Amino acid sequence: MEIIKYPLKVRYCKSGEMVYFSQLDIMHIFDRALRRTELPLYFTQGFTPRLKMSFGNALKLGVAGESEVTFYFLQEVSYDQLCQLLSNQLPEGLHLKGAD
Amino acid sequence: MINFLDFRKPQRYIGNEYNVIKKTHKNRIKVCISYPDLYEIGMSNLGLRIIYGLLNEYDDVVCERVFMPDKDLLSYLKESKIKLPSLETKTKLCDFDVIGFNFNYELNFTNFLHILALGGVALKANERKDIIVLGGGGANPEPIAEFVDVFCLGEFEAVAASFIDVLRKYNGKEERLKALSEIDGFYVPSLYEVSFSGDQYIIKKKYEKAKLPIKKVHVKDLDNSYYPLKWLTPHTQIIHDRVPIEIARGCPNSCTFCQARALFYPYRERKIETIKRMVELIYKNSGYENFSFLSFSASNYSKIEQLIDETFDYFKERRIGISFPSLRVDDIAGRLYQRISQLKKANITLAVEAAGADLRRNIKKNIDISRVFEAAEIVSSLNARHMKLYFMYGFPQETNDDLCAIGDFLTALQKRSRLNLNVSINVFIPKPFSSWEKYPMDTEALIAQKKMTILTNMPRRKSIKLSFSDPKKSILEGIMSRADRDFSKVIHSVFLSGGCFDGYNENFSWDVWERAMKEADIDYSRYINKELKSYPWSHIVCGMIKHQDTITK
Repeated sequence: MEIIKYPLKVRYCKSGEMVYFSQLDIMHIFDRALRRTELPLYFTQGFTPRLKMSFGNALKLGVAGESEVTFYFLQEVSYDQLCQLLSNQLPEGLHLKGAD
Repeated sequence: MINFLDFRKPQRYIGNEYNVIKKTHKNRIKVCISYPDLYEIGMSNLGLRIIYGLLNEYDDVVCERVFMPDKDLLSYLKESKIKLPSLETKTKLCDFDVIGFNFNYELNFTNFLHILALGGVALKANERKDIIVLGGGGANPEPIAEFVDVFCLGEFEAVAASFIDVLRKYNGKEERLKALSEIDGFYVPSLYEVSFSGDQYIIKKKYEKAKLPIKKVHVKDLDNSYYPLKWLTPHTQIIHDRVPIEIARGCPNSCTFCQARALFYPYRERKIETIKRMVELIYKNSGYENFSFLSFSASNYSKIEQLIDETFDYFKERRIGISFPSLRVDDIAGRLYQRISQLKKANITLAVEAAGADLRRNIKKNIDISRVFEAAEIVSSLNARHMKLYFMYGFPQETNDDLCAIGDFLTALQKRSRLNLNVSINVFIPKPFSSWEKYPMDTEALIAQKKMTILTNMPRRKSIKLSFSDPKKSILEGIMSRADRDFSKVIHSVFLSGGCFDGYNENFSWDVWERAMKEADIDYSRYINKELKSYPWSHIVCGMIKHQDTITK
């Protein structure tokens, strides 16, 4: 049976010390931060399940900037709900900037 | 200010990880601890994390970290005379009261000196007025005794409280060191005099109340001992990018070449309930997607199947990967591997060590070789493609047949399992405190000859990939692990010539070390190729019951 996933697209901003971290690092930071929130996360199906995320344009190393990412959940999650739980899990220099 | 963008992987100099501990320095004992290698390697060391968390539990102590900068930043810091700062509060190393180093790998000794120098700290213990350099995690302290004020021998958790108490009670460095030397587990080299005559080392106390012999200490109650539950979670990938849950410490087996068994003696286990609580809390606190059950030999954990059964659902529901770094043949042939492979595609590593049955019995590596074939077939049937195997050569009384047997064994194993075999072949080093510490290491010529014997009997197949450790690197590791106090001038002169990261093949240079040893008039064969009545480390006892350690043939 296909599991229904609920996407939520948000804008995020990388600044301060976070500019030293690569796109791959940012992915890991979101992954672990989301796992700490205990939100109903959607994982890819298959042998090695991963937290599903789709990133917009990757931000360059060393430069502050904004981009977007889509998270997927097992139930509908609002931006406010996400922001409330995720924001204090993110390191200084990585912020959510609103739903896209 | 350093512009980190000019350097490779700037992430490793930023710190600020999730769960980092930052405290003000005022009215606190200031400790900085280091694993003298790159951030991504040092952060994978469990001992460092335990000590970091444990020391920060004390309200009047602040503990920070520093690692070895990569070569590009290293030369920049040297040229610009900017002092190496700690990760947490960017404090120069020379502003700490205590700097602690992990010495579990001998080829990091030059890195250790670089870190001190970069931090503006005098290298030699007797040239430092206040700062105490504390060494731990190592086996034989003698080759670096000149640079270290005090060594903790054994497990620091067991004596951390006494260490802090001494720092609280005494202010001067000399009083502090003397007080420490009266406690089991602490070794202050400057309070002892060592001489060598005949073929033995003689050690005398210079301070009456110092301990002799010096006993290693260990945690008596592992189950209730400190574990860092607020897991420091890096924002970038590290070498072992998973949370190790230490299910047991020490090893109940008695392989004769093994040093770790002696250093972490005796064997202790954590309760399943404790392990479950650790997993749940650390996952909540970190969100780490990979865990490993750490021990020297998972199969010796008395309730290993129950442990897996009781944690299986937790890991599965949360899509957490779990690995066992120390599975043995019997686990794979048994039920264990099938269960684990449902959680994660587990590649298997087996330390067979010797292919000849007699030799394997002599080194007390009790593996039933028919079970290895069984295990390989099971691994293969579960869709794994690779298997990694470890061998050693250069054992005492090893025969030609033993060496040839490696090739025969690999051929047969490959044929039966159809797996790709990655084989790592290392030279036997008689490490201090192992049962075979007294056996001479093979000479370079003999090692080369033995390597040829192994190679001529090795099938040329794509599916069998061999990697030999550099024999000269093994010889240097042997020398460094067994050397006495004379050797410190060699390490010092290699450091002065810019030597660092000796553990990395691309950096390792035997010539530099050979030249330094010649200049210091040291014939290294006295460390590794001679049997003596006593050794540079013989004044240290690790309390291990020595098993019958002679060779039976």
